[in-house]
Amino acid sequence: MGDIVVLVKAALNPETIRSKPDGTVDIDAMSLKISDIDRNAVEEASRLKSILGGKVYSITILTWGPVAKRSKDLKMAVQEALAKGVDEAYILADDEIVPGDPVTTASAIVGIIKKEGLNPDLILAGEATIDGFTGQIAGRVAAKLGLPYVSFARKIEVKDGKIVAERDLEDYLETVEAPLPAVVSVTREINQPRPPTLLQIRRASKKPQKTLKAADVEGLVKPKRVIEELRVVAVKRKQIIIEGDTLEEIADKLIDYLVKEGVLQL
Amino acid sequence: MAKVLIVASSERDAGEALGAFSSAGDAAVLAYGKAAAQADAIAEYGVKVYKLDSDVVDVVFAALKKLYEVEKPSIVAGVSTKNNRDIMSRLAGLYDLPMTTEAYDVEVGEDYVRYKRGALSARAIAAEKAPLPAVVLLAPRKTKPAEKKGGGSVEELKVEVEPTVKVVGRQEKVKGGVNLEEAEIIVSVGRGFKKKEDLKLAFELAELLGAQIGCSRPIAADLKWLSEDHWVGLSGKKVAPKLYIAIGISGAPQHIAGITDSKIIVAINKDKSAQIFKHADYGVVADLYQFIPVLIKKLKERMGRA
Ligand SMILES: Cc1cc2nc3c(=O)[nH]c(=O)nc-3n(C[C@H](O)[C@H](O)[C@H](O)COP(=O)(O)OP(=O)(O)OC[C@H]3O[C@@H](n4cnc5c(N)ncnc54)[C@H](O)[C@@H]3O)c2cc1C
Repeated sequence: MGDIVVLVKAALNPETIRSKPDGTVDIDAMSLKISDIDRNAVEEASRLKSILGGKVYSITILTWGPVAKRSKDLKMAVQEALAKGVDEAYILADDEIVPGDPVTTASAIVGIIKKEGLNPDLILAGEATIDGFTGQIAGRVAAKLGLPYVSFARKIEVKDGKIVAERDLEDYLETVEAPLPAVVSVTREINQPRPPTLLQIRRASKKPQKTLKAADVEGLVKPKRVIEELRVVAVKRKQIIIEGDTLEEIADKLIDYLVKEGVLQL
Repeated sequence: MAKVLIVASSERDAGEALGAFSSAGDAAVLAYGKAAAQADAIAEYGVKVYKLDSDVVDVVFAALKKLYEVEKPSIVAGVSTKNNRDIMSRLAGLYDLPMTTEAYDVEVGEDYVRYKRGALSARAIAAEKAPLPAVVLLAPRKTKPAEKKGGGSVEELKVEVEPTVKVVGRQEKVKGGVNLEEAEIIVSVGRGFKKKEDLKLAFELAELLGAQIGCSRPIAADLKWLSEDHWVGLSGKKVAPKLYIAIGISGAPQHIAGITDSKIIVAINKDKSAQIFKHADYGVVADLYQFIPVLIKKLKERMGRA
């Protein structure tokens, strides 16, 4: 009773972006890490665990291959989730479904939930992942399972078998009430995740993990979208550092430049 | 010809989505929320408008599902607002449709759609292709709105559903009275400022320049020194001023993601190896507490206001 499923992605770490000679992204040279907003989802799951009283399961679908090359980063991301309060982890890593597509990821998550007989009261996810940032997995999972969906939550409370959440929209905050079970996507503002302690990390390595293959789950939808090209944005800034003996001189030069650029009128 | 269903909560969003897709085929618009009151104006684009007087996402989703089944569109499109993401991700999940957000440069073919979008915290641009039917949410303000040619029609939609997720309250966000998307000059502040009171240095500079005030995420989200409408970046506002002055901002990719369309970027930071200098046209390596007062003094002198 009262279990939680939290969705955790090992995302391409944008900080490690590398360019090939032709200007395209060298994806193979980049590393994966747990997607930042999924950290918030995990933190929230471990907070709500004590209220709901069940277990926390994480589900991770590898979307960037090849599997052999990604397994170390993948393991680190899952370990972090386990260290922060996840009790058991499910992982799907298969070269057949990389590079992935949200259509595939969502079907895989639903497939795992069904196959493993998980019966969560709450499915939590980050509002988007740091690599693709399309923010559609949680909504897809909700629709496929026929569950209520609450998106962009920056506050969640559980009471009397219901959740009350605050949705963070462009111009207003919307307080909503949903019956459980439900799917909720959270924003980074929901909490401040702390890094796991050494003890938590040590305990994490003893927690159960199950790795599955594409053939193990039913209803898997093959990737549909194709990334035809991924190009590093060329920074075309002038990068002029203004030098001078005094701050007055620097300020004068800066003003001169801005006037010359036509962006400042005196 | 492809059939296009547009989902919009404002006339402007409807116009942009029609601009991106109207050449692709027959378009109809589901106008919800604020757009319901603008249904007649939207019809002037020469399209059929389904008017839905609700902005409760469960209700809009139910309406969209019904329309999808009737219209069988090959493209469902809109602008990437949060409620649109919510509704569309559910539709995409239900029918296993490919879906994207923040797309621009859209091209629709016989059985596919191609588009571009920022990826990897806007450090890369992805060119993608998806088979139809597909869901495409556009990056706001990157597509030219369609021309109004008149001759459309409006049909009121009635959806008999009790939302499962009930809206029990709404609260307008506190606004700092800025409109960064339209600003010509932005003075933006980051964690280089030690105290809230110190922001007055930036306010003074902004006033002198006729600039609006922007900020990095921590200033609005963590410290709450400024309201969220000042927040620039991936999860804040995307801005395109003539002049963007970043003061005490390190230049994290998620901040840069919001400012790449600026014409000229100036960075003021005391750390000469700060990333922001790679994304700036003009950089000043200095302590802001010393440099900003000097810059203000000089500007005043040269404006004849000393
Ligand atoms: C998913 C995600 C989304 C995000 N979205 C956004 C977003 O939309 N917008 C955003 O801004 N961030 C966003 N962030 C956060 C981002 O990664 C950075 O943490 C943030 O931008 C840092 O803010 P900052 O530059 O003000 O602070 P810091 O990184 O702490 O930088 C402060 C800078 O001030 C300089 N400084 C200090 N003292 C002085 C002085 N006296 N004079 C001059 N310079 C000084 C320092 O050298 C430093 O470079 C996001 C992060 C994630 C993971």
